[in-house]
Amino acid sequence: MALTNEEINRYTRHLTLPEIGMEGQLKFKEASMLLIGAGGLGSPLGMYLGAAGIGKLGIVDFDVVDNSNLQRQIAHSVADIGRPKVESIKETILAGNPNVEVEVHNTRLTRDNILPLFEQYDVIVDGSDNFETRYLVNDAAYFTKTPLVYGSIFRFEGQITVFHPSHEGPCYRCLYSNPPPANLVPS
Amino acid sequence: MLPGIVGLIQATEALKLILEKGKNLVGRLILFDAMKMNFKNVKLERDPNCDLCGIQPTITELIDYKAFCEIPMPSAEKEDDDFDEESYSIEPEELANILNAGKEIALVDVREQSEWDICYIENAQLMPLSEFDEHISSLNRDEEIYLYCYKGTRSMKALKQLHEEGFTKLKSLTGGIDRWAEEIDSDMPRY
Ligand SMILES: [Zn+2]
Repeated sequence: MALTNEEINRYTRHLTLPEIGMEGQLKFKEASMLLIGAGGLGSPLGMYLGAAGIGKLGIVDFDVVDNSNLQRQIAHSVADIGRPKVESIKETILAGNPNVEVEVHNTRLTRDNILPLFEQYDVIVDGSDNFETRYLVNDAAYFTKTPLVYGSIFRFEGQITVFHPSHEGPCYRCLYSNPPPANLVPS
Repeated sequence: MLPGIVGLIQATEALKLILEKGKNLVGRLILFDAMKMNFKNVKLERDPNCDLCGIQPTITELIDYKAFCEIPMPSAEKEDDDFDEESYSIEPEELANILNAGKEIALVDVREQSEWDICYIENAQLMPLSEFDEHISSLNRDEEIYLYCYKGTRSMKALKQLHEEGFTKLKSLTGGIDRWAEEIDSDMPRY
């Protein structure tokens, strides 16, 4: 695989960094990532990872864009209200970088569809907003031995870590063995 | 703002995993506090007793996640099982008729101040559920009391509390102010 002249020009800033360079940019181009959610976290994730030149970006979400999403879900615009979020974010990513292959999954993740999906990607990035999905994603990433970049938000606080099944680190269940009681779950 | 900050730290880590360069966040948790504008770095370790990745895992395949995340309600709330919520509920239209008739009633909003600042029903008084105990003494037992919240759950909770204190003329607005805005007052903002 090689970069086209347009890509070489586009990624100049990366190519001149010794830590990335041509070798790193080709790794990006050959890489695939699956984003769980096209909302508050999924928006910047999709837009920046797309712009950076990740070869294949998968996005799972089953929701449609609502007016009350626009305050933070910056991949979507007023014209997108009522459209599936995955379609809206795909358009935004491709408008910035048509070299990316965007694969949308307009569906709810379940234990029946998650494993074959995870097997197609190098890295999973969790931008989900509920505990059911977080445990499902954690377990599926563990079983498929796929690294998982975890992020969550509660009010003014954020948490970020990486769960890597082939490294010595923990998994999400090591941190939180059980979900919080239902009456403590923010809604 | 916060989703942008957290999302972009995730994006940076994802790229580093592909590059296989630098020091990644495996075994470390970043705790970011936007109000204090503070990043904390907490060391994480694998739990040998973890149900999934521990020495003797009990989870060896995907499970029923809905059931796993559904924690039974605390026993204290279960005792109310035979409480007839329906007879203490009122539909938005019925309440609108009562208010329009100018009847002397107490209309109590049990949401929090920040929600009250967005919208409220005219002539209501704010008694947030979080400090409801302090307000009970200001209520008149002989008066009809109509409670509402955002969706109808908190107002029923407050109603049960008043019921236990011996109040009898009580109603909770079904669907809360959200349904009120939808069905009765179309000028009211929804959140
Ligand atoms: Zn674990």
